[in-house]
Amino acid sequence: MSIIDLTSMGEPQSEQRKELNDRLTKLQDEISDYCFQCARCTSGCEAHKLLELEPHKIVALLKRGLINELVNADVIWTCMTCLKCRERCPQRVAPVEILFALKNIAVANGKQIPGKYTAMLQSILSIGLIQDIQQTTTRTNKTVKREELGLPPLSKPTDVAKFQAGIMKIAMEKV
Amino acid sequence: MKKKYALFPGCLMPTEQYAYELSIRETLPLLDVELVDVEGFSCCGEPMKSVNQLLTLYLSARNLAIAQKHHLDLFVPCAMCHLALTECQHILEKNPAMKDRINDMLVAEDLAYTEKRHIVHTVDLLHDEIGVQKIKEHVKKPLQGVKIAVHYGCHILRPRELGRPDDSENPQKIEAILKALGAEPVNYPQKLDCCGAPLLANLPESALTKTGQKLQAIQEQGIQGLVDVCPWCHKMFDSRQTKAGETVAAKLDVPVVYLTQLLGVAFGLSAEKLGLDLNLSPVEKLQLEAAK
Ligand code: SF4
Ligand code: SF4
Repeated sequence: MSIIDLTSMGEPQSEQRKELNDRLTKLQDEISDYCFQCARCTSGCEAHKLLELEPHKIVALLKRGLINELVNADVIWTCMTCLKCRERCPQRVAPVEILFALKNIAVANGKQIPGKYTAMLQSILSIGLIQDIQQTTTRTNKTVKREELGLPPLSKPTDVAKFQAGIMKIAMEKV
Repeated sequence: MKKKYALFPGCLMPTEQYAYELSIRETLPLLDVELVDVEGFSCCGEPMKSVNQLLTLYLSARNLAIAQKHHLDLFVPCAMCHLALTECQHILEKNPAMKDRINDMLVAEDLAYTEKRHIVHTVDLLHDEIGVQKIKEHVKKPLQGVKIAVHYGCHILRPRELGRPDDSENPQKIEAILKALGAEPVNYPQKLDCCGAPLLANLPESALTKTGQKLQAIQEQGIQGLVDVCPWCHKMFDSRQTKAGETVAAKLDVPVVYLTQLLGVAFGLSAEKLGLDLNLSPVEKLQLEAAK
């Protein structure tokens, strides 16, 4: 199994892509309708000042049906998932969830996954965790490893083949 | 009465944030919490939410199913993992079709999700399950004179509708625990600001700027230090503090400790047992050893 199965979602995953699109359409038709553009989400947005993310504008663009533009915009990847927009929206719109859906579609459409996400995914596929045991250093620059600290063995999938078989089903799933 | 939980370690704590794990394993048993190590857990799935939410849900569900197989409730010290598992349970309980679908996939590992587990984080375990009174009774060396700011972490506070360990806008449980230890929690305007960690995967510079801004604000207000309860937040505030300082052109010098480390110091445990030499920030400035 490769990462491609889970991300670019080639033919076998067309159902999943359809499902993602349905989810967005639902967000567009039902949820974004409630939004009255009060911009309360943007006023508390953690990514707003630093990276110019404006969640209320994301919702407005979605309402206008500009899904392709949104999916291809780099700004959707600046959300810090602080969840304040979801918490504070008087209309229960949850821009953070819209952003997750948009990013998922970007990935499903084969857009390049930014940064270290690919490496993390690869690591999950091979050992079940986003990274293996790291050597760390103390304040006085001594290197230490997990086992030297008397900590028990790492909990991770014991039968990797079976674990991968489960994940494989997500890549291949028909709804 | 003894409380028993499977310790769900997640990815970050057991692979690099050893001080959190050490201090958890040293302190909680003193408070009659039995931590059970269970084989086979994986990533909670939260780091993959931007890539594929179904994968997130699947990974969370398989971890819940493993806990269920052992008839155990879950203690989840990471804020991200805690949200992922809680949200997954919420979805599976509310949406039978999704539950069936996930269970069809879990068959590959002979697992199934059929019943709810109790899922706690460090903050509600200490404050709600164990209780401030009991914590107080175990204090041998009150942390007198330790004036410290608190960082909760976004994912243990929101979204409220899923039931989170503390209040989303005015959390006070860590403050209550700190007072029981004899320390003085300090309020500050940036208390609810994000640590920046979720951007580490794709925009590390911005992530560190976020971290730097919060630490700088704490430093400028003359606050002695910062306490946190999540391996991601701690990675940013402690492990990456020097780098975070560079992004805001400041020489940062803020001691950052895990709540469970402070707990241990107040209970009279040694710095070594609590992994205090693993903190890269200048924790010696807190003069915890001198605490009486
Ligand atoms: S807070 Fe809610 S209603 Fe207001 S602009 Fe944002 S999404 Fe729309
Ligand atoms: S979750 Fe994302 S979009 Fe919402 S307020 Fe936080 S950073 Fe902004």
